[in-house]
Amino acid sequence: MADAYAAHGSEDHADHKPSFFVRWFFSTNHKDIGTLYLLFAIAAGVIGGAMSGLMRMELAEPGVTVLTAFTGGNLEAAYNFYNVLITYHGLIMIFFMVMPAMIGGFGNWFVPIMIGAPDMAFPRMNNISFWLYGASGILITLSMFAPGYGSNIGFGGGWVLYPPLSTNTGSPGPAMDLLILSLHLAGASSILGAINFITTIFNMRAPGMTLHKMPLFAWSVLVTAFLLVLSLPVLAGAITMLLTDRNFGTSFFDAAGGGDPILYQHLFWFFGHPEVYILILPGFGIISHIVSTFSKKPIFGYLGMAYAMVAIGFVGFIVWAHHMYTVGLSVNMKAYFVAATMVIAVPTGIKIFSWIATMWGGSIDFKTPMLWAMGFIFLFTIGGVTGVVLANAGVDHYMHDTYYVVAHFHYVLSLGAVFAIFAGWYYWFSKMTGKEYREWLGVLHFWVMFVGVNLIFFPQHFLGLQGMPRRYIDYPEAFALWNQVSTWGYFITIAGMFVFLVAMIDAFFIYRKKAAANPWGVGATTLEWTLPSPPPYHQFNELPRFDKGDAKAF
Amino acid sequence: MQNTFGKKMIAALSGAGVWALSTAQAQITPGGVGMQPANSALAEEVHFFHNMILMPIITVICVLVLVLLLWIVFRYNSKTNPVPRKFSHNTLIEIVWTGVPILILLAIALPSFELLYKEDVTPDGKQAVTRGDGQTADFVFLNDFTDSRMVRRPGHLQVIVDNGNEQRLLKHRADYKISGLGEEEVVVSFDAPPAAGDSVIIRGGRSSDQYGNINLAPTMTLKVNGYQWGWTYSYPDFGDFEYSSNMLPEDQTTPELYRLEVDNRIVVPVGEAIRVTTTARDVIHAFAVPAFAIKIDAVPGRINETWFKADREGVYYGQCSEICGIRHSFMPIAVEVVSRPAFEAWVDSQRALAGLSPMFETETIKLADAGANAQ
Repeated sequence: MADAYAAHGSEDHADHKPSFFVRWFFSTNHKDIGTLYLLFAIAAGVIGGAMSGLMRMELAEPGVTVLTAFTGGNLEAAYNFYNVLITYHGLIMIFFMVMPAMIGGFGNWFVPIMIGAPDMAFPRMNNISFWLYGASGILITLSMFAPGYGSNIGFGGGWVLYPPLSTNTGSPGPAMDLLILSLHLAGASSILGAINFITTIFNMRAPGMTLHKMPLFAWSVLVTAFLLVLSLPVLAGAITMLLTDRNFGTSFFDAAGGGDPILYQHLFWFFGHPEVYILILPGFGIISHIVSTFSKKPIFGYLGMAYAMVAIGFVGFIVWAHHMYTVGLSVNMKAYFVAATMVIAVPTGIKIFSWIATMWGGSIDFKTPMLWAMGFIFLFTIGGVTGVVLANAGVDHYMHDTYYVVAHFHYVLSLGAVFAIFAGWYYWFSKMTGKEYREWLGVLHFWVMFVGVNLIFFPQHFLGLQGMPRRYIDYPEAFALWNQVSTWGYFITIAGMFVFLVAMIDAFFIYRKKAAANPWGVGATTLEWTLPSPPPYHQFNELPRFDKGDAKAF
Repeated sequence: MQNTFGKKMIAALSGAGVWALSTAQAQITPGGVGMQPANSALAEEVHFFHNMILMPIITVICVLVLVLLLWIVFRYNSKTNPVPRKFSHNTLIEIVWTGVPILILLAIALPSFELLYKEDVTPDGKQAVTRGDGQTADFVFLNDFTDSRMVRRPGHLQVIVDNGNEQRLLKHRADYKISGLGEEEVVVSFDAPPAAGDSVIIRGGRSSDQYGNINLAPTMTLKVNGYQWGWTYSYPDFGDFEYSSNMLPEDQTTPELYRLEVDNRIVVPVGEAIRVTTTARDVIHAFAVPAFAIKIDAVPGRINETWFKADREGVYYGQCSEICGIRHSFMPIAVEVVSRPAFEAWVDSQRALAGLSPMFETETIKLADAGANAQ
């Protein structure tokens, strides 16, 4: 307990902290809840990353040889296990790694501080948001070990949970029911969190901080929160209909009872497409701050950056059927979704070029967070342009459900969102922990990961162009080369993660260098750098003011 | 000639009762980095759009961003540029980087829409065949399409004269004139009447490929029904027979074709549009053949439609492309494209297996078909 105090020590002697159990289990403090979310995300990331390791090892060579070791040599069970891996890898990385890290973790930690608020608007709701995630995590874990199809355990139908594969036809066991309940709780948690962020940002900004003076990370979380509130209820509805189809004899998605399996896909992607922006928008905010800080320049085109995010969020709601070009939509509908989807490239382009313009003319220190941010900008561009390719339904009829799609969304998420998370982690590490990491370890981590993830995912474009379908445990011989390269890339990435582990152990236990309030110098202008590292348990007893002079928050 | 060949094939096949698998090659290039070779004009167009329009554009964008980032690393690091500049706005450049992407997207969208409509609108072109008598110079093409699909422009018609040795594609204005476009009867007036005995072939319709050839309406429908984990195929135009198609086990095929080869392939005639309808029995599957650039979901309770027209004979492989359960990776698709006579022989062999009488024996069907297959 004393360690916990020491780890979060503060110069403020009146800074009363509750005892360990009360502090971490009944927490109402936004920074502590942020820390809990980050720990949760790290745990989920380790599990999700290990799952991708099993998949890549299995795919290293044609033939099913690796997963059988887990199933006692039973081939059918190994096939099922592979499908379970792809399903839970997707769900865990999306719902339990990226979302808690970005919104629950960095959002909780830095949105109140950046807008000059003492805490979130609803601290107790913040606590239940986190613990609903905990319950959700338990349910999804149970789901993995519950019977799904026949004697096989887990649900193996992809994270999209399309019926009839997810109804009693394709997965009659309780695995799918547990999964639905898990997503219900995760969704409820995110909706509560989103309401909390919207209320906090609208009502608790420091005096004089208008929305147009608010830091871009707070903007990004605000837009994300609106996407969550508007899209998650649709997912909740869809999976509830799935639940009643499975258990109570309804037939929303059962053609034999007058329902339609495609209806589910429309509902799912009405949530699912905004969801991918939910995953990346907070990253946009993080990158903006890092680029500005290390260039020692104000953000270029601040208003354009803020409203580009609003535009992306809005258009993100009207493009969902570009995930469904092959389901049998009418041609006019496809044409509309092609056009609407391409529109998104415009605000995204504005963001990329504005980051470059922010760096242009700067005096840039290429510290670890900046390396991750620049890596993000380049890799997100690659993922973005392949998205423009896929937006064209005429080409997507060839590419759909091939590895080209896998490469595309991993470039924007695994190399986009995850790079943004690491950028934010290294950027705010000293602020959150009060400790420094060794710079060369951070730099090494970046370069090893950069090589590794590109080696994993770039060859997957080739596989997709050659027509290799996704979600395949086994493939024809001709696909062997690039699959093997991709697997090597995984091992390099794991080596990078090992460097990360070493860097963190070193920072906490060996290097133990105390961090200054502002380690980044004149470029770091947002409010968190005015507080000590780590910040006091309660900050801003006296609110910072932006209504006098020309003070800016960014 | 064709008749005899066809009959021989029928005899041989019905005797054996099996359609022998011809040797085949996978279209996947080991270590390849591009798309699978195209085997239809439409797939070639998909390749063109991807390889010649999209790829160059996205490559230039990525290289531009990379060069700008490298220049920033080189020029604006804190050593070479110790004092940062302070600007944060530049209206002109912001207008440029909003406007230029819009123009690029428009340049992508226009060919994209054209391609999409070509893929999704099943061709409905038709052809009229008659014989010249050395005197008649005016030929009537019945323009009986629905209003939106009517022949309205000279490019909606193709006129071909076949003298038995060669086919000649005539040129509008130089060789013939058209009157009555958009009306019920379109009259093609030859400058010089076609010689007696020459076949006059007039094709009309709105569906055409990138070479200007009118795509004729499908000559047959292939019904695809997906199930866990295989496919059944039926040919409603050729009688009530249906067969299922499953992946061949490892010991019955070559290492190259393992996981692609099936016991019973789809057989279709070359050079003819094939309508494909898909549905499924249990969960969603997807019927995909990259060589034709087609992929269409097979959804229980729904019937989806697509089409393809193979340019060359051979065997073309695809794989189920929508996760459908534990053996999703093991329900490939194999399409064997054969000549018209070989196709007819195959149909009759299937009919024989189903206890039906042969369909393609009589001379009359053969002759009528020779015209349709003249190209």
